[in-house]
Amino acid sequence: MTDQIQTQGLDLRYGDRLVVGGLDLTLPGGAVTAIVGPNACGKSTLLRGLSRLLAPSAGTVTLDGTDIHRMSARTLARRMGLLPQQPVTPEAITVEALVRLGRYPHQRLLSPWSAADQRAVDEALERTGTTSLRDQPVDLLSGGQRQRAWIALALAQDTELLLLDEPTTFLDLRHQLDVLDLVAALHAEAGRTVVMVLHDLGQAARYADHMVVLKEGRLAAAGAPADVLDADLVRSVFDVDCRVIPDPETGTPLVVPKSSAVRQPAASA
Amino acid sequence: MTATVAPSARAKSTSRARVRRRVLVFAASGLLALFVLLTASLTTGEMPMPAGTALRALVGLGDSGDVLVVQQFRAPRAVAAIVAGAGLGAAGCVLQRLFRNPLASPDVIGVTGGASLGAVALIAAGASQTLIPVGAVGGGLLSALLLGVFAWRSGLAVTRLVLTGLAVQAGLAAAVNLMIVRFPAELAGSALQWTTGSVYGRTWTEVWGAAGAMVLALATALVLHRRLAVLDLGDESAGALGLRTSAARLQLLLVAVALASLAASLAGPVTFVALAVPHIVRFVTGPPTAASLGLAGLTGAVLLLASDLVVQHLLPIEGLPVGAVTATLGAPWLLVLMFRQSSPVQRSHA
Repeated sequence: MTDQIQTQGLDLRYGDRLVVGGLDLTLPGGAVTAIVGPNACGKSTLLRGLSRLLAPSAGTVTLDGTDIHRMSARTLARRMGLLPQQPVTPEAITVEALVRLGRYPHQRLLSPWSAADQRAVDEALERTGTTSLRDQPVDLLSGGQRQRAWIALALAQDTELLLLDEPTTFLDLRHQLDVLDLVAALHAEAGRTVVMVLHDLGQAARYADHMVVLKEGRLAAAGAPADVLDADLVRSVFDVDCRVIPDPETGTPLVVPKSSAVRQPAASA
Repeated sequence: MTATVAPSARAKSTSRARVRRRVLVFAASGLLALFVLLTASLTTGEMPMPAGTALRALVGLGDSGDVLVVQQFRAPRAVAAIVAGAGLGAAGCVLQRLFRNPLASPDVIGVTGGASLGAVALIAAGASQTLIPVGAVGGGLLSALLLGVFAWRSGLAVTRLVLTGLAVQAGLAAAVNLMIVRFPAELAGSALQWTTGSVYGRTWTEVWGAAGAMVLALATALVLHRRLAVLDLGDESAGALGLRTSAARLQLLLVAVALASLAASLAGPVTFVALAVPHIVRFVTGPPTAASLGLAGLTGAVLLLASDLVVQHLLPIEGLPVGAVTATLGAPWLLVLMFRQSSPVQRSHA
């Protein structure tokens, strides 16, 4: 199993509104993919489509060649975890109680909590540095700690694939990097496939092996960040004039907006 | 609902060993209270007797008059209160989590009204007593179905369900009153039960049928608890964990409807118990677990049995239904809840 996700002619709709249209994508297994694009371009919707939360109105999503809508919800949940953009924290739940819920797809209706379940939870807490917080209520944690607790839940789920919807939104710079480093480590250590929606193009270029750029629900570009990210693309997708220079730290593409970069619709009309 | 406590103080007190100890203490004191209340309800009345005599009479020993009073009048009434209270407590617990609303309870979403109407319709039609629980559960399910149809278009969204439920409940309660006016002869003896809620005059035939079904419903609720906990994470996370959220919500809703309807078949539309019990349990044991579902059943039983004792012996008014006591307590409780909900410190969890 290579954990490769493919979409063919994928249409995703909310009611009558087409949000993602005619998408042909291949997300390489064992790699980190960043999905980027302007607000409301369908990034989160695509993630919902990839994780079976939203059924396509046309086209298919396959995981290693199998249509995910032909797999049982439980089977898919053992292979793919998802951290939504704004997850709902149950009132007063402790970190450990939250992380334990990640074991749901591995449990049968009447099976008791097993040693393997506890081991997976302990490892997930350890891996995300939340062991010391295990008895704390999640709603009293800081934003960064809370995000770690939610990633721990996804890790306890013990899946090869991890989908993260804007995991760095609402976090300050230090905690953004903290989460991204954690994601990079999870990928490097266990060869996990990671697909994440990001807003910061520079961070996406730094942390991703593969980049998918969406505009208005359609594919604008896909490939290695160094091949994809250039001034023309940023202008056509984000409507921003910029220079793309090598990141002085990593050499990956870095987007530097020009001083009067935002194109005013009135001026261009 | 627990008020926010300083993080450092909270950190230690939520450790699992501590929570487990609290659960055990709560369960033990609940069982003790239940035993004391049960003994009290068997010994007191127009023919007071010592506890020993009453307990012996319960198993058929001693004076035949005592045996008759205890076995045929006091015991079924007390057991009815216990079974109905347990059902209401557990149903409230499931519904408040399912709806993510601390004000949700079977008497708010129309289930109690439907159950009462179902029972009243059967009595008016002259059906036998054993069929009443069936009518109540049928009525409860029908009202849930009605609710589902009205709220379906919004994808069973929580606020829509609650608002629709309020309307359904009001309509059904009015229908019960209409039935009582239309069939005065058939319903004369039990009008109070079906309008306010009462366990007066229950017989073993009614109690055993409902109790058996109640045990099944409670067991199902416990088995489904894991799904309830995953649903707490919201539909996206729950779906990503492999839970079929609509199916799970429907299963849990049906269990809650069964619990509340069976309770209504014994006690009528008793208010307050299902609303208050989950808050009491949460106040003592913290965030909900499978154990709190069981504790909710126990607390509901204690609460309703205690209310029934108050009605029978502590109030100077004769023949007051137990629902009157729970409603009298319920109104201020609701106000306190609303007050705490709207205080600015309280985060909204809608």
